[in-house]
Amino acid sequence: MKNELIPSSPLTVNWAITNKCNFGCSHCYSRSDTKEELSFDTVCGILDKLKKAKVFSVNFGGGEPLLRKDLLEIARCSADLGFAVSMNSNGFLIDRDMALKLKEAGFSKVGISIDSPRPEVHNKFRGIKGSHEKALSALVFLKGAGIETSISSVICKINIDDVDGLVEMALSSEVSNINFHNFKCSGLGFANKDILDLTPEEWRDFYIRAIELKKSVRNLRISLEDPIISQLGEKSNDTLVKGSVCGKLSLNIKSNGDITPCGFIPIVVGNICEDDLLVIWKNSPVLDKMRNKEPKGKCLSCESQSECLGGCTARTLALTGDMNNPDPHCWKK
Amino acid sequence: MKIFRNPDVMWREEDEFKEQAYKGLGTGEDVAEIGTSILLHAGRMHSLNILGTEIWKLCDNRTIEEIVSALRQSFDVEEDVLREDVIEFLKNMKEEGLIHEE
Repeated sequence: MKNELIPSSPLTVNWAITNKCNFGCSHCYSRSDTKEELSFDTVCGILDKLKKAKVFSVNFGGGEPLLRKDLLEIARCSADLGFAVSMNSNGFLIDRDMALKLKEAGFSKVGISIDSPRPEVHNKFRGIKGSHEKALSALVFLKGAGIETSISSVICKINIDDVDGLVEMALSSEVSNINFHNFKCSGLGFANKDILDLTPEEWRDFYIRAIELKKSVRNLRISLEDPIISQLGEKSNDTLVKGSVCGKLSLNIKSNGDITPCGFIPIVVGNICEDDLLVIWKNSPVLDKMRNKEPKGKCLSCESQSECLGGCTARTLALTGDMNNPDPHCWKK
Repeated sequence: MKIFRNPDVMWREEDEFKEQAYKGLGTGEDVAEIGTSILLHAGRMHSLNILGTEIWKLCDNRTIEEIVSALRQSFDVEEDVLREDVIEFLKNMKEEGLIHEE
């Protein structure tokens, strides 16, 4: 099935600007990724390329982006080119001074990863004492500096019973958004999937509760970017594409410049330093396959297939080896 | 009353689709379903067709009458019909927070 709208270039580029990290999270997708990093001049050259391709926004991640010494200069360069600049961080290195520097460098949004409202659970999962407290204080400093904040939580066994608590934590932190990420089974997430991932029925129950909260909670946007929630009559995103948005509205750049459809799909479709972004976007057979998935198995007779398009491509590929298979998290029999 | 685009909206024209739409206009095809621009605001994505895109681009300190008058130079549509379309379109854009009036 053809999607109704595939733009002429990505709207957003997610960029693992470094893979260095000061944490040791059990579900990290990038621990085994390349340690190679691009020089500042190369990064600026790539930003020029992205601007010419009319990309709207650049979201830095990693690793921990703040471990890249020239992050502020990179952000400044991005903002000067007119990008909306954001990042995902664990918040450990963000104090009042750093928050002000991030604002000055042009960051408009920063997302902080917090997996549990319970400090002991978060700290154990992230492998660093005091990280929960630091993450919460980072949100205060960022908000104080005038940066829009959000919380990112990867839903898995450690927090499935604390969904209401996560929302309460987000409300008390006055963030604009909480993103409930589905568990992707990439990198360490794959190695630890048997102890961390939920059963399809647990996913169903989580989404029923999360949708109730999304509809009832005020002053907080709750994002559930998982295509399988169309089973519950919900849209997974506010874009004009169906199914996964990866490779349709966004691309991922690794720290060495390799391009992948998203951070959780380890298939390299090109390199931003060597290849023409627009040619890759238009002609990559991998992206084409992701945009035109062919339903298999139970998806063939599912009434939600036209919305869900088989669910999360990254997860399906990681767990079944074929992106056309039904999403393993889908609870439909 | 002047109409302004919300400066927080990220937007761009889609050159390939724009070319396709103008080509279609020239041969009398229905191009209403071809999205020639993309707008992104508050996490929501919008796609505008050729007329919507041109109205959007004219939301730069102009009145509705000025927008209608500018559009008539490009689109062969009766003035009253065009005015109605513009008013309806701007109403929707205002509801979405994409434009404001001063």
